Amino acid sequence: MSAAAGLWRQALQRLRRQRMSVAAALLLATIMLACLLLPLLSPYDYFTPHFELLSRGPMLAGGHILGTDPLGRDLLLRVMWGCRISLAVGVAASLVSVLIGVSWGATAGYVGGATDALMMRAVDILYSVPFVPFVIVLTVLFGRELWLIFLAIGAVSWLDIARIVRGETLSLKQREFIEAARVSGVRGAAMIARHIVPNLIGIVIIYATLAIPTVILFEAFLSFLGLGVQSPLASLGSLVADGTSEMQSHPHLLIVPALFLAAIIYCFNYLGDGLRDALDPRDR
Amino acid sequence: MLRYTVRRLLGALPTLLVIVTLAFLLLHAAPGGPFDSEKRMMPEIQRSIEARYHLDEPLWRQYLRYLGDLAHGDLGPSFQYRSTSVNEIIAQGLPVDATIGLTAITLALSIGGTVGINAALRRGTRWDYGSMAVAMAGISVPVFVVAPLLILVFAIKLHWLPAGDWVHGSPSHLLLPAVALALPYTAYIARLMRAGTIDVLNSPFIRTARAKGLPLRLIVWRHALPPTLTPLVSFLGPAIAGLLTGSIVVETVFGLPGIGRYFITAALNRDYTLVIGITVLYGALIILFNLLADLCYAWIDPRVRLR
Amino acid sequence: MTAGRSGVLSACAACLIAGCGSIDAPTAMSVPAPGSAAASAPTQSVTLGSALAGEQAVARGLDDMPRSLDPLLVNDVPGQRIADDLFEGLTSADISGKAAPGVASSWESSADGKTWLFHLRPDARWSNGAPVTAADFVYAWRREVDPRTGAQYAEGLAPIENALAIATGNKPPESLGVAAIDQRTLRVRLNGPTPYLLDLLALQYLYPVYEPAITRYADAWVRPEHLVCNGAFVLRENVIGSRITLQKNDKYWDAAHVRLQRVTYYVLPSRADQAARFLANDLDWTDSFAANQRTWLKSIVGEQAVNSPYFGAYFLGMNVQLPPFKDNLPLRQALVLALDREPLVHYMRQGMYQPAYTWMPPLPGYELPVPDWQGLGDDARHALARRLYAQAGYSEQHPLRITLYIPSQDGDSRHFFEAITASWFSILGAEVRLYEEEFKVLAQERNLHKLPLFYDAWIGDYPDPYTFMQIRYSGNGNNNAVYSNPAFDQLIDAAGQEPDNVNRYRLFQQAERLLNDDAPYIPLYYYATRHLVKPYLRGWQSNVMDRNLSRYMYLLEHQRR
Repeated sequence: MSAAAGLWRQALQRLRRQRMSVAAALLLATIMLACLLLPLLSPYDYFTPHFELLSRGPMLAGGHILGTDPLGRDLLLRVMWGCRISLAVGVAASLVSVLIGVSWGATAGYVGGATDALMMRAVDILYSVPFVPFVIVLTVLFGRELWLIFLAIGAVSWLDIARIVRGETLSLKQREFIEAARVSGVRGAAMIARHIVPNLIGIVIIYATLAIPTVILFEAFLSFLGLGVQSPLASLGSLVADGTSEMQSHPHLLIVPALFLAAIIYCFNYLGDGLRDALDPRDR
Repeated sequence: MLRYTVRRLLGALPTLLVIVTLAFLLLHAAPGGPFDSEKRMMPEIQRSIEARYHLDEPLWRQYLRYLGDLAHGDLGPSFQYRSTSVNEIIAQGLPVDATIGLTAITLALSIGGTVGINAALRRGTRWDYGSMAVAMAGISVPVFVVAPLLILVFAIKLHWLPAGDWVHGSPSHLLLPAVALALPYTAYIARLMRAGTIDVLNSPFIRTARAKGLPLRLIVWRHALPPTLTPLVSFLGPAIAGLLTGSIVVETVFGLPGIGRYFITAALNRDYTLVIGITVLYGALIILFNLLADLCYAWIDPRVRLR
Repeated sequence: MTAGRSGVLSACAACLIAGCGSIDAPTAMSVPAPGSAAASAPTQSVTLGSALAGEQAVARGLDDMPRSLDPLLVNDVPGQRIADDLFEGLTSADISGKAAPGVASSWESSADGKTWLFHLRPDARWSNGAPVTAADFVYAWRREVDPRTGAQYAEGLAPIENALAIATGNKPPESLGVAAIDQRTLRVRLNGPTPYLLDLLALQYLYPVYEPAITRYADAWVRPEHLVCNGAFVLRENVIGSRITLQKNDKYWDAAHVRLQRVTYYVLPSRADQAARFLANDLDWTDSFAANQRTWLKSIVGEQAVNSPYFGAYFLGMNVQLPPFKDNLPLRQALVLALDREPLVHYMRQGMYQPAYTWMPPLPGYELPVPDWQGLGDDARHALARRLYAQAGYSEQHPLRITLYIPSQDGDSRHFFEAITASWFSILGAEVRLYEEEFKVLAQERNLHKLPLFYDAWIGDYPDPYTFMQIRYSGNGNNNAVYSNPAFDQLIDAAGQEPDNVNRYRLFQQAERLLNDDAPYIPLYYYATRHLVKPYLRGWQSNVMDRNLSRYMYLLEHQRR
């Protein structure tokens, strides 16, 4: 093959790759919009049971296009509320972890020396702490509130980001503009906030995007253990967990929320990949 | 390298101490004691049970006692299974997890690796997109959906494999749990290998090798593979430790006597000694496998110097 | 005991079932007539022969890992199942769960019902060949009530002289009212007439244990390599969290009638998993199945899904010493009334259980003191509930806002509670929030009387009203609602001195009426036993105490198609 053809092909590949990411972003936007609007437009609510319609499969009658749940509530509506909760947990917890991770990693990387060693040692130690009992203990001590779940997940998932940010900071530190800033008297926190962190934004966005699906999955896992959000609200994870116990008798109870859960995670992962391709030139 | 290993292992001791302390304090701070149950006990009997497990002593003394036992390798008696020690429970559960975990990681490495390298070599083809889409699905679908589905299809509908239970040395009992456990790891490894291989294929030394006219297969195996293993090794270190201590979900769904399942029931039942014991084990394994991963780096890439 | 994922969450399913006493009672086990097997033909693809299967090995599901295999320390239902197979008391549950002669072949009691003599059968042996003696019982019972043993069920021996004084540390274990007259005669002294004594004796906390093994191995005596037992089976393997394997005990006095050579209990805390394993033909008998799968299971396995009344009740507790329930009878009554139990149980429990209007589940000979409002139509009852709600000081502008504490279990039980709160909301406008709490925490807070409105349940230890009524006695440790009514206590005390069951039951009924009028709890439903059983597994009967000893079970020849 000729070099020119290879170049064209690469360009095409990149485009196609980006198209997948764009498609993922569009699908995500659609789901977000739907879970914001549908609960407002639907004639049903997410808590009133309808005994005459328990666990029905998808049907047109009554507009239950995805069927009903074991209490006869519209499954589409339940799933939309589940998307809201899962997305909220995902985004909020990722924000928490990014916040902690970036400040921790940037400080460690910039200050260096003994401080760096100590801070990264703390990260190493936390890596070896199995956090499931940690989260369980937290949830039983303070109750199973939504914000607490954000905090608990965020607080244990910042470790990866801290490591990556530290590595980036270490290499940033060698760069001329940091040297220049230092010469002109910028020091400490100001240096980190004004010069280091802004240069980390690209990588932080990538990892935040990739952290969201991990968090959503972890919340789903917590729900599977019965430690998720309080009913009658339900996250996608708890809907899936409930669905698994009835997958043989009422498969739609598993399939519908599992599809939405998988779709959301799929989209975030693709989006994260796409962003990495676009923002991180080394991969090219 | 020996000196490095010894130093790393010694350095792990304070880490383990921190883990023990954290777990100890968190558990004792949690509401609900190990001997609360639906039926209330007579106070005298409750006191007697608590005295048997030294729960009537001040916390610091319990802590020191635990550390003392731990120094002798004794993780104490299990609170919920009265006639059994934590050491025994771990000795019973660990081989199960090790068998399933190693099978799963072998599956994941061979399948994920092959798929990943192939996708990289055929970058941009349908094969590439297809396999990466499948890999992404593997990451996106939770194990607690996959595992029951496997049971539904292969045990209940087809009657090919048992739906659960554990018989030592029985491959048919091993297969479904190992596959369920391997799935996300396979997907991760496929993605890692693809990205790594692409990186390496684009690097100057491979370009040189290709320019010299070496066959692609030879390049991949002799030159491209070793460097791509670096990110893989850093992924595998903690991953193997995690696999060994077991996927809670897989163990629960298949009813396997592995450690992950004990861990959850122990935490819920406030079986302090069992929770702390498994926590320590888990921490030790993570440290160990991270160390092994670092040693592997040095072995794969002689430029990495261990300090 | 809690409903739901008892394995993970209900730590100790503590209220033990046991005892016996049942509706119909063919006492001796009979070999089936060749024709009878074909008569109840299986619905699934199994052909049954009429002869015994060649391999007599049965696989049973178990809801949770027993906390201990020491019968005196067993505090959960799964532990009881194992103890029933490994050990045998003076009396023993027969195939219908009723007390039948066990180690004791006969007995007599004094005129006042306070002194009993038990004659042990000469051929009763431990699995190592040693004879089971009266001294073994004396040792076991003293060990049970000795506070140093830490046996949670020491209280179960309360009817025996000095038992409570010993358990509270006020008397030495040697003062227990039990004595070995000779090697084969045991004398038991009681505090009062105890009409349910024979049922009590068939419970694991009154089983004998083998002293030399305990002296030698201490807590480790229950391991397969050390365990010495006197039941129909011996312990072969105990894989914590996975399975317990038993093997036929050739030294058992009735071994000639025990057909099973091997029993394997698989620990499966998830009921859905048990059903899946049953459908995959890995289990012949499940400990339970989930209510939300009932209709579906019935549609595939038909008669293999078996339900029957079970001596347990599922209810909500209201702490009468905490606001908003303190001194607010109308509010408590309004919450009791504003539930449509029939549809709730029919739809949300798929008809598995019987809706409850009273405290104690049905028991033969005991007429349920059903409240008057049960007969009201829905509208009239709702109107009455609303009137009481208003009288309690609540309205649409000022609704009741309260939290109902429930254990975090599976979706199935959560859905049921969601339906309950929805019912209160639609009938009264009360805004009741659900709060799932880890079972350990819920149990502790409930016992410490911190929760105003909470999930609760009780399963009788033996088939007698007392096991239920005692809970509502002032100051009882399980009286989570902190209910106290001197008139109620007096009636219970009076019943304790009454040897005749007709009179006792009447006193209990009066007490229960008082209790229901005071409304410290919200009845929901009475439990049911729920098993999936392969058609070729025979030698068992549904019974109200849900005791199904492997001793009587056997397998018929069968072929799976």
